[in-house]
Amino acid sequence: MFDGTPDEISKLVEPGRVHRRVYTDNNIFELEMERIFGRAWMFAGHTSQIPNPGDYVTSDIGRQPIIFIRHKDGKPKVLLNRCAHRGPKVCNEPCGNAKALTCLYHGWTYDTDGSLIDVSMPEGAAPHFDKKNFGLAKAPRMGEYRGFVFVSLANKGVSFNDFLGSMKANIDDLVDRAPDGEIMLDAGIHRYFFRGNWKLQVENVLDSYHVPYSHASTVNKKGEQFSRREGDDEGAQVVEGKTEKTADAWKGRRSYVVDFGHGWTSNTELKEKERSSPAYDAYKVALAEKVGQERMEEILVPEFHNSLLYPNCSIMGLNIHVRIIRPISTDLTEVTVYPVRLKGAPDEMNSANIRLLNVTHSATSFVQTDDLESFRRTQVGLQSLQSEWIDLSRGMGEEEPDPHYNATRESAMHEMAIRAQYQAWLHYMREAA
Amino acid sequence: MDSLILPTTPAAGGIEGIDREPFEKFLIHEGRLLDDRKFEAWMELFTEDGLYWVPSTQDQPDPFNQASLFFDDRQLMKTRIERLRHPRIHIQTPPSRTNHMVSNVIVEEADENAESFLVSSSMMMGEYRLDVQRFFMGRQFHRLVREGNTFRITLKRVNLINCDSAFEAMAVPI
Ligand code: FES
Ligand SMILES: [Fe+2]
Repeated sequence: MFDGTPDEISKLVEPGRVHRRVYTDNNIFELEMERIFGRAWMFAGHTSQIPNPGDYVTSDIGRQPIIFIRHKDGKPKVLLNRCAHRGPKVCNEPCGNAKALTCLYHGWTYDTDGSLIDVSMPEGAAPHFDKKNFGLAKAPRMGEYRGFVFVSLANKGVSFNDFLGSMKANIDDLVDRAPDGEIMLDAGIHRYFFRGNWKLQVENVLDSYHVPYSHASTVNKKGEQFSRREGDDEGAQVVEGKTEKTADAWKGRRSYVVDFGHGWTSNTELKEKERSSPAYDAYKVALAEKVGQERMEEILVPEFHNSLLYPNCSIMGLNIHVRIIRPISTDLTEVTVYPVRLKGAPDEMNSANIRLLNVTHSATSFVQTDDLESFRRTQVGLQSLQSEWIDLSRGMGEEEPDPHYNATRESAMHEMAIRAQYQAWLHYMREAA
Repeated sequence: MDSLILPTTPAAGGIEGIDREPFEKFLIHEGRLLDDRKFEAWMELFTEDGLYWVPSTQDQPDPFNQASLFFDDRQLMKTRIERLRHPRIHIQTPPSRTNHMVSNVIVEEADENAESFLVSSSMMMGEYRLDVQRFFMGRQFHRLVREGNTFRITLKRVNLINCDSAFEAMAVPI
């Protein structure tokens, strides 16, 4: 029997290791849906996806379907996509524009803020029936930062502001690159799935240790990965060409963690000075025009490689995109990747970013496909009962404070970031909903 | 790029007076090269400025402003194929086995000199790897230019019926 008592949960995470059951046990998965995905601040959409009143996008938070919609009054709303009558999903399209939302079953009609405005054959309603009590449920709490809309499905808990904390800088780092100071998540999506637990992808986001081996097939004879940025014809040095040993440049990467399991990795030194192409040069001009030369140079220093807002939102600074990791079941996970368009940047620059993402983070990409194979094989391997534990001990004891970021830092070749994720996991999971 | 845009209402049965057979033969050959994992030879079917495009939405207007499943020029095709040849490409260890079927070939457009063509066909690719078999199905469009007895591809666009679904990792071109 597994009841999810604080005691039982605590036993699953030890210093430097976690129990295999956190990836394989259906009871634990159910608790995660309640205690993590039902509680933490979750990405619901970006305001650029719904520019006009009535515009909506549907998606899911964990397993719960939602509607991200702009109400008549111009404000974004996050509604649960479930008819208040007998339960069908009301909005069935991935996106669209609606004056009102009507359920297919008996035709109840909801306003764009979820309130129930019309019930067919109202004469049959029970005497105590009051439309006010039957709107589409709203996400209890909503927060927005620079167009990113997050919701918490719990009535109380840490505020959005506190949850985001210093990770605002990671969002700023991306959004400030847009000459108009706004990004747009309106360039379609990549969507892929893998037969493995959601945490395998989340852990991978800040794991630079796997890159030289896992992504060997993306590295040329000189040991460099293919270029992942417009205007840069060389990619990062991953391994030493001849020996295929991890390159010193790669080893120099650091990872950082802050509260709530959030963190990021730094970039390998990239050739900023030499970075140039017609699209990139035009972009620099556009950015400098808006923010000035000095600020432009500051903005374009690639500070963050990949940032994680635990539990499931990754923001990549290198080849820019937002990625949402959605658990479907213990061993099935869906990932949605949103290309980012920088508002005010030349079309060629945005187009170059979109095209690069096709080969780095799509279902067909050169990079992500090998990760997906690792996740799938891990899920299979973890069925083995011969060993109870997953080792996450690399670099234990080498964590150090980073005064600049007010964070804890470590070599990104180590596993500090994943250990921090499990501290956050414990924090959510020990407390009954 | 106009060449990426396809006619919406082709003539029923295609253009009169143009024999479908050479086109059919070419398309069957193209699929066969992929099935035989002769990726380099497949790439050589494309002109130097040839493009391979698999959109990720229905009626996707262009590959420049929206994500695509594949949008490769020759340079990207080359990188993709070099990776497919790498001994440590984990997603192809073991490799996929595929089979292409091509039918319902229609010559949709031909220029006056019968030198360049737009040909559409129904395609299905079965892929098997590690106990999982899946199918890709759709209508593909080839822009072809005549070269000697055969053709070269300036554009291959595959409109999958499930282009906007979530996919498990896809390593080989469709
Ligand atoms: S179930 Fe939606 S109207 Fe009845
Ligand atoms: Fe990876």
